[in-house]
Amino acid sequence: MELAPIFIWLYNKMLEFGLGITAADIISLVVLAVVVFGFLAVTALFLVWWERKISAHIQQRFGPMMTGWHGALQTIADAVKLIQKEDILPALADRKVFFWAPVIVFVCSFAAYVVIPFGDGLIVSDLNIGVLYIVAITTFTIIALLMAGWGSNNKYALLGGMRSAAQAVSYEVPMVLAVLGVVLVTGSMSMNDIVRMQSAWGGFRWNIIFQPLGFLIYVIAATAEANRTPFDIPEAEQELVAGYNVEYSGMKFAMFFLAEFVNLFTVSAIAATLFLGGWNGPWLPSWVWFLIKTLGMVLLFMLFRWTYPRLRVDQLMEFAWKGLVPLAFVNLVYVGIVARWLNW
Amino acid sequence: MAQLVKRYFFGFYNLILGLVTTGKHLGRHAVTIQYPKERWTMPERSRGMVVLLTDHETGQLNCTACLLCLRACPTAAIEIEVEKDEKGKRRPKEFVVNYHLCCFCGLCEEACNFAAIKLAPKYEFPEWNSKDLVWDKKKLAEMGFDVPYEKPERKKAEAKKAPAAKAAAEGDGDVTAAEPPTPPVQPPDNKSGHDTTDGGETTSSEGGG
Repeated sequence: MELAPIFIWLYNKMLEFGLGITAADIISLVVLAVVVFGFLAVTALFLVWWERKISAHIQQRFGPMMTGWHGALQTIADAVKLIQKEDILPALADRKVFFWAPVIVFVCSFAAYVVIPFGDGLIVSDLNIGVLYIVAITTFTIIALLMAGWGSNNKYALLGGMRSAAQAVSYEVPMVLAVLGVVLVTGSMSMNDIVRMQSAWGGFRWNIIFQPLGFLIYVIAATAEANRTPFDIPEAEQELVAGYNVEYSGMKFAMFFLAEFVNLFTVSAIAATLFLGGWNGPWLPSWVWFLIKTLGMVLLFMLFRWTYPRLRVDQLMEFAWKGLVPLAFVNLVYVGIVARWLNW
Repeated sequence: MAQLVKRYFFGFYNLILGLVTTGKHLGRHAVTIQYPKERWTMPERSRGMVVLLTDHETGQLNCTACLLCLRACPTAAIEIEVEKDEKGKRRPKEFVVNYHLCCFCGLCEEACNFAAIKLAPKYEFPEWNSKDLVWDKKKLAEMGFDVPYEKPERKKAEAKKAPAAKAAAEGDGDVTAAEPPTPPVQPPDNKSGHDTTDGGETTSSEGGG
């Protein structure tokens, strides 16, 4: 069952009810914001549980089993516990920076969902610079992580923030170059256009078929963008205690934690949209296809996390600048030649 | 350059190999168990709590208060108070196992000739109060009531000889140094034999060496 007609029907009902177009727009935007927020909050809770289960089963444990079916309510219990916790402010913290850092992380990771197409027509706003917007808004979280590290007035937090910034700047370059390949063949930055371009062949003309190298580069760079193992040096537990969020507690910590998993879902959704055909697919409703592909990518990222050891800082930089950036340029040249040759 | 490409391909191959390995493990069943809900069945001879075994035909303890276990105990965790019943047969008036001292070595079980003491395959006996970890005869017998065991088949002559030989071997120990080494086992039919211990004698291992 497609969901987009429901929203259109509701919008038309509001117009029929006698509301002006402006009022109807504002109401529908608020409703959409609440719906997207609710969906992402539930998804983040689910992903935390899923990650724990997958890590446990890879290590042949059970993971959470007590609360709910196979521990499904464990994250809700954790969230309730975090809400009850005292909000501790370090004595020498930079108060404003310390306060605003989790807010910015939270807002930025959620703002990316403005342009992500959840299904056929299920997009909050189809910006014509969608890809650029996503790249810009997800990079913004790095500033917030640096703020968190600086504001905490803690050497571990500051080291985590600095590492995060260095890593993000390095991996942003190959990621954007890989995404550029998709933009090149589509001729548009709109997410909807990119998805529609892949709807040929019964919905299986995916970009990954023509740009496997681009997909690989994107996945590696996205792992680094989402600060996940093997690129999790900003919060390397063995070295930095917890990295940038070491001084945070209670709800602020929960916001960082939630944003981390929302970011994971974001990079997976972008990978699914740009390279795996988005919501295209036969038989099932479009949003189900989107969820299947995105959760498949999430599963891949989780397997990465529980398989690979962490890179050292110098290895990380070397891999980005000497490995991924040249490969990304090779991919870009290849895409340009093939696109011209096949006359896409 | 070729070296670099080769290195990258080899690395990529190994990365895939790692993913395949963890993927395989993802499909396997967990090796851990949900402890409070389910438990391992312990092997029959695993060394858990020390218990006194009961002869289910007579309802009496198998123990003859021979004090062999007391002498065998390396941490002096066992205390026995000996008494005689109306037939003059030795039996423990009090039998105390102190779990603060017990190291679960199983030497008492090895020393016992009458299948009277055993380390049962039960391992859960935590207490809130540390005093409750000193178990008396009643508690030991209660915990050992349903523990299965093989009763040693012995002929009377052997029963006389073997413990005597063992007692001779261990008799020079310093546990009961104040007294002449006593044959710790009283064979059931030997009423008027060498009976050097009084009925109410308490032999505590702390009192010895």
